[in-house]
Amino acid sequence: MNCWTRRQFGSLVGAACLTAVAPRVARSQARARVVVIGGGIGGATVAKYLAANAAGIEVTLVEPKARYTTCFFSALYLAGMRSLESLTHGYETLAQRYGIKIVHDFTAAIDPVAKTVDLKSGGKLPYDRLVLAPGIAFKFDAIEGYDEPATEIMPHAWIAGPQTELLRRQLDSMEDGGVFLIVSPPNPFRCPPGPYERASLVAYYFKQFKPRSKILILDAKDSFFEQELFQDAWVRHYPGMIEWLPAQFTGGIKAVDIKDLSVKTAGDTFKGAVVNFIPPQMAGGLAQQAGLADQSGWCPVEPTTFESKLQRGIHIVGDATSGGDMPKSAFLANSQAKVCAFAIAAALTGSARFAPHLFNTCFTFLAADDAVSDAIALEPEGGTIKISEILISEVGEDAETRRQVVQAANGWYDAFTHDVFG
Amino acid sequence: MAWQLTLAATFELRGGRTPCGRAKPPEPRLASGARPIIKLLAILSLFPFGVQRSTAAENEQGAQLAAMCAACHRLDGRDQGIPSIIGLDPKKLSEAMEAFRSGKRSSQIMNVVARSLSTEEIAALAEYLAARKRGSEQP
Repeated sequence: MNCWTRRQFGSLVGAACLTAVAPRVARSQARARVVVIGGGIGGATVAKYLAANAAGIEVTLVEPKARYTTCFFSALYLAGMRSLESLTHGYETLAQRYGIKIVHDFTAAIDPVAKTVDLKSGGKLPYDRLVLAPGIAFKFDAIEGYDEPATEIMPHAWIAGPQTELLRRQLDSMEDGGVFLIVSPPNPFRCPPGPYERASLVAYYFKQFKPRSKILILDAKDSFFEQELFQDAWVRHYPGMIEWLPAQFTGGIKAVDIKDLSVKTAGDTFKGAVVNFIPPQMAGGLAQQAGLADQSGWCPVEPTTFESKLQRGIHIVGDATSGGDMPKSAFLANSQAKVCAFAIAAALTGSARFAPHLFNTCFTFLAADDAVSDAIALEPEGGTIKISEILISEVGEDAETRRQVVQAANGWYDAFTHDVFG
Repeated sequence: MAWQLTLAATFELRGGRTPCGRAKPPEPRLASGARPIIKLLAILSLFPFGVQRSTAAENEQGAQLAAMCAACHRLDGRDQGIPSIIGLDPKKLSEAMEAFRSGKRSSQIMNVVARSLSTEEIAALAEYLAARKRGSEQP
């Protein structure tokens, strides 16, 4: 943090006066209007923090689905440790407690010049600021044979809901001794520890009910997040059950065949009794249509406001964004959303702004009583966002420490979903 | 940048701790150039906008900082596995955060959070959290 001298302060007072008399939307019309598209973690958090803290702002949240199921903790559902219902959240509280207008509809088009959103049902929403939280989309053209219909045979289960239920049913009906094949995507993708947590908890389920089964991870990468922690846990909890093959071993994933549930790599072809294919990813479709994504497929944003670098007046939060060291996680989406909401409130109503803080924590289950976590702090730096502090669980921690992380993880889920939807 | 401006202005207006966390001397020894500034601020404070900013600004900072705590700690006083942090003595909370910052107290997440906050941010946060009532749903 800076130490401000009186001299520095004095030089800024002139600017303060300008700020105080600058025209604001709130003075030229009744209430400023913010439309948020996407009711996932990022979108719901922006809507809530704008509606609750800025009385002068009218907030509309556009989300086609009636309820949202969290992708985080869905591995616990796959392992039979939690119901999907317990991971599913409605928008009623956001509407009733904070006065957010919830519109269950698809977005047909965005007009950044007229500042309107066209809804699929025909309505039109004018806005002063637009926030997009479009989440992720899959690159269906990236791997031969893996198109949208293929997801019904080889589920990705990387957007929680029916896909997760399908994968659970497949695992449930798989015979003991079968191979569960997970294809893990290239960077960057939603939830870096996710594919490996999924492998761990499905192994936990197999160990109890289908102990002769195996899990094979075909990776598009040569290393992965928290690799040592995972591999240590796999040896301790599930010896001989999980095998991980990096891209340098297989030569990379080339094609899938849904008829015989096989995945072709540059070298061998692997068959699974159940195949969980997690495809390469990019920013959600709406961001692509609206021209908010660059050639990387993700949306570059200003680090202190989350305003698009490609389209002024439109902010983007969540997994769709790109910038420096930011991982794609629900926790960070929530953190970004608060920074974004305070920046929009300041721009529209003149509320105070302070140094933005971004944090991320991932709680990762290795078994029912063994979980690890990582914590990072991120700060805007040179037009992007860099990690300023990082701490990660270590190999060799005692069982009690790991049990405490499990307890913290469960407490976190409750508090976090309350922060977003409650 | 705007937030730096607000941060500095907030603490000058409050006349409390400086952003560096040092106690302000009882009789401020102002550089000659600072007096007109204080006068200007006094004039600004006659307007409702100025008054609001000088009195509520720190709470607003505390509230914005508390928002990030709410990602793990419920701010309505309930505890499902992560302790409640509202209604505590602000001095004790500040001391705990300082202990997390120095590493005297060990907690992966809290060590990272505390190290990224300044002393004055911790003070603003502690005051805000201390004043929060159980059951409040203000995020």
